[in-house]
Amino acid sequence: MASSDGIGQLRRAAERAGRRASFAAVFSRSMLLLPLPLGYGVVALTLVKAFRFGQVGQRNLLVLGALPVLVLLLGVARVLFAKRPAWRGSLALDEFHGFHDRVTSALTFSQVPEPERSPMMQAAIEDGVAVARSLDPRRAVPIRIPPEAGLVAVLALGLYGLSTLEVRHYRQLPAPASFEPMQMSADDIELFRDVAKELQAKNDDPNALLAVRRFNQLVEDIAEHRLDRHEVFQRMGDLERDLKDNVDLDQDARDEGLKGLARELEKSGLTKPAAAALDEKRLADAEKALRELAEKLKKKEGRPNAAELEKLRQALEKTSRSNEERLKNIADRRRELEDEHKSLLKKKGEQPDAGANTDPKLADNERRLERLDREKSRAEHGQKQMSELDQQLAQAARDLMKDSQQSAQDLEQGAQDINRMAKQEASEEQKKDLLKKLQEMRELMRQQGKGGKDQMQRLAKFGQRARGQGGQGQGQGQGEDQAGGQKPNGPLRLGSGPGSVTVEIPVAQSRPGDGPSQAGDKPGSGQEQGAGPGAGTGHNKDLAGAATDLKGKTQDVTAAGADTGQGAASSQVIFGAAERGFVGRGYRQVFTDYQTVAEQALSKDEIPSGYRFYVRRYFQLIRPRD
Amino acid sequence: MPDADQAREEVSEFQKQIGALREEIGRVIVGNREVIDGVLSCMLGSSHALLEGVPGLGKTMLVRTLAGVLGLEFSRIQFTPDLMPADIIGTVVLDEAVAGGRTLEFRRGPIFANIVLADEVNRATPKTQSALLEAMQEHRVTVGRTTHTIQEPYFVLATQNPLEMEGTYPLPEAQLDRFFFKLEVPFPSRDELHAIIDRTTTEQHAEVRRVLTREQILSMQTLVRRVPVARHVQDYAIRVLQATHPNGEEAPELVKRFVRTGASPRGAQAMLLGAKVRALFDGRFAASIDDVKATALPALRHRVLLSFEGEAEGVASDRVIAEILKKLPASKE
Repeated sequence: MASSDGIGQLRRAAERAGRRASFAAVFSRSMLLLPLPLGYGVVALTLVKAFRFGQVGQRNLLVLGALPVLVLLLGVARVLFAKRPAWRGSLALDEFHGFHDRVTSALTFSQVPEPERSPMMQAAIEDGVAVARSLDPRRAVPIRIPPEAGLVAVLALGLYGLSTLEVRHYRQLPAPASFEPMQMSADDIELFRDVAKELQAKNDDPNALLAVRRFNQLVEDIAEHRLDRHEVFQRMGDLERDLKDNVDLDQDARDEGLKGLARELEKSGLTKPAAAALDEKRLADAEKALRELAEKLKKKEGRPNAAELEKLRQALEKTSRSNEERLKNIADRRRELEDEHKSLLKKKGEQPDAGANTDPKLADNERRLERLDREKSRAEHGQKQMSELDQQLAQAARDLMKDSQQSAQDLEQGAQDINRMAKQEASEEQKKDLLKKLQEMRELMRQQGKGGKDQMQRLAKFGQRARGQGGQGQGQGQGEDQAGGQKPNGPLRLGSGPGSVTVEIPVAQSRPGDGPSQAGDKPGSGQEQGAGPGAGTGHNKDLAGAATDLKGKTQDVTAAGADTGQGAASSQVIFGAAERGFVGRGYRQVFTDYQTVAEQALSKDEIPSGYRFYVRRYFQLIRPRD
Repeated sequence: MPDADQAREEVSEFQKQIGALREEIGRVIVGNREVIDGVLSCMLGSSHALLEGVPGLGKTMLVRTLAGVLGLEFSRIQFTPDLMPADIIGTVVLDEAVAGGRTLEFRRGPIFANIVLADEVNRATPKTQSALLEAMQEHRVTVGRTTHTIQEPYFVLATQNPLEMEGTYPLPEAQLDRFFFKLEVPFPSRDELHAIIDRTTTEQHAEVRRVLTREQILSMQTLVRRVPVARHVQDYAIRVLQATHPNGEEAPELVKRFVRTGASPRGAQAMLLGAKVRALFDGRFAASIDDVKATALPALRHRVLLSFEGEAEGVASDRVIAEILKKLPASKE
């Protein structure tokens, strides 16, 4: 009994030692692997705190952190669930106490059934039991702190420290959205107001009026500083897009339709005047010609003979069908091209090697199809615009054989249609004008905004000079040299030299020597820069100033006055305007003439856009004021 | 538990006898405790020992003393190249009787003794060595058609000199394997040398007395065999043996590199029998892993064959075995 108790004691001690050994192994492995997740944690937390990772970044770090944790868990699990030697605990006890396997041998032999045990086995068991009391599993299997524990402690402390550490980031808060209203000088505001007013007065087309109102509203908003630069450009862009969408397409379609009409009407002698007017886009004349023809048909006397009427009928009939036929032709050509395109695609599919031959053809085909689509769209648009006129002409052709009175009425209605188109064209012209003004306004704003303060100063200076308010005698006084009666009798010529354009402007009669004498009577304020609104009292002796340094490209202007025998010379008007502030009918006339010439030159010549701006700006600044 | 008590008594008696034996031998032989224990282990394990050492270390003296203490028949054979098997086994001679008539009579050679000292065994030819080794293994000798049994206990102690290798016939592996232990006789220490000189250069001559009888020796040999070995100890001995093989599961790198062939199962037998003897020496009733570790070196050193690379590198088999014992954990699942 005592033996079995002793064996039990041995077994318990051995089991306890075994458990301690297992724990020590797991503990050691944990300490060995813990630096991985802890180290990762330190790095990740540092990154999060230092670089302020967003939610996605933090989530990614967290997901990545699963890897070292997994390594730790797997490593520990491997030790925890590893197969262990049967006598691990007892051997540890034997080794520690120096029992030469007495405990282990006793436990081993105790498993042998008693009858089968030899006396030596029994003696060995009792020998083992005898030492049972002295067994000390705790000391036999000490749980030592592995060397890695220091690192683990440091990392854990670091992690804790980092988690409590508040890293302050000084974030540059975005400056409160400052509203910088678009700046435009009162003079410019006035200019665009005038433009809007003028366009509004000219227009009776609701669409054009709507566009003008939008433009006007835009100018008013700028004047009231309600818009910033971005909003101004956005609204200008919207307005410009809306205007452009219709104007170009409508005009092209109508022009084409009218030309087709003119070609057919020309075939009849009765409609030749109308055809010529249509061809030259003189819609009012065309309307007049048609009305005259209608009158002629109404009258019993002097009516055209049957052959003429037949020709007229055929012409009207063909005219009414011309747009339709044009559309049909386009559709036919398109169908042919589509068939060819399909065939090429099929060929390419069957013989991929033939790509070198088929690809260019396909590309060409696609281009042609696109062109036809554009033509079709234009033709459809034209047909839509001309449909009423076509109907009226077709009806006129039909009625011509039955009732000439009725036919005349049809033609009158056709004339009304042309009148409608003329009005429409006028409206489109106004839209174009508005577009042009919009572009000028945009260019002005762009120029003001692109160079910062310097550019603003330059433009301001330019404005002052243009108005004759400074510039050391280089203001309007320069007119003496440019227009000052070199060729007093003759048209004003702008531009000379190779490649330049010469435009003749009819001007008022000029008198030799007027220029210098005016300049002498009312000297400019050359010596005093920006010397107030009034004219100066003195002048620079050297009125002409220093010779112009003409190193760059220059364009000589030759002005020749045309003797009309009326009014003051242009130079007089200009000098006068400079003194009075650009007012007066005479100045308006001269300004318009000069501006027209300048615009023609600008539209025909290859002039850099930057120069164009300054030329236009110059005219804006010296525009006549009421 | 009378059986256990008896076992305890037997073990106690064993210890006493061994103690007496050691004391008596110690009167003649100075130091060399391990070699003496090794020789005794071989004898009690019913096997044979190979002693290796330079001349003059008292190998022959040890064997002679042992024979004297044990009171067993002792013979010494000096192996020389011209020694013939018949010289050690014995020969059949024609014997003329006084009364007349002749008979063929077998004259037993020196091999027929309880303790045989085969001095410089590696100097004899392999043929003669084989004759000895057959007797060592079988404990009997066959001459002609007659088999002659050698009386138990039978214990051969062979010696060889590791220095003078010229003109020698190194024992083949198979024959080395027959030796239970290979014991290396170390050079004596300074104190030991003093004692040796004192004993051998003066008039005093230590006379040894007979301590054990033949029966007692046989009884001790039987007791050794009765010592139980726990499974984990036996398992350890087997693992050590397996580790001596280059392709063994737990063989250390040194073994894999420098060992050509590992020990045979006789190595494990020798380790465990030696462990049992050691347990009894200590008065324990079961062999332990420590005992196996202690006997591993003499039991395995002549059974582990080094590769050419090992020999070229000068790696000793002792170093290989020590490495195994160092690396091999005591238990494995």
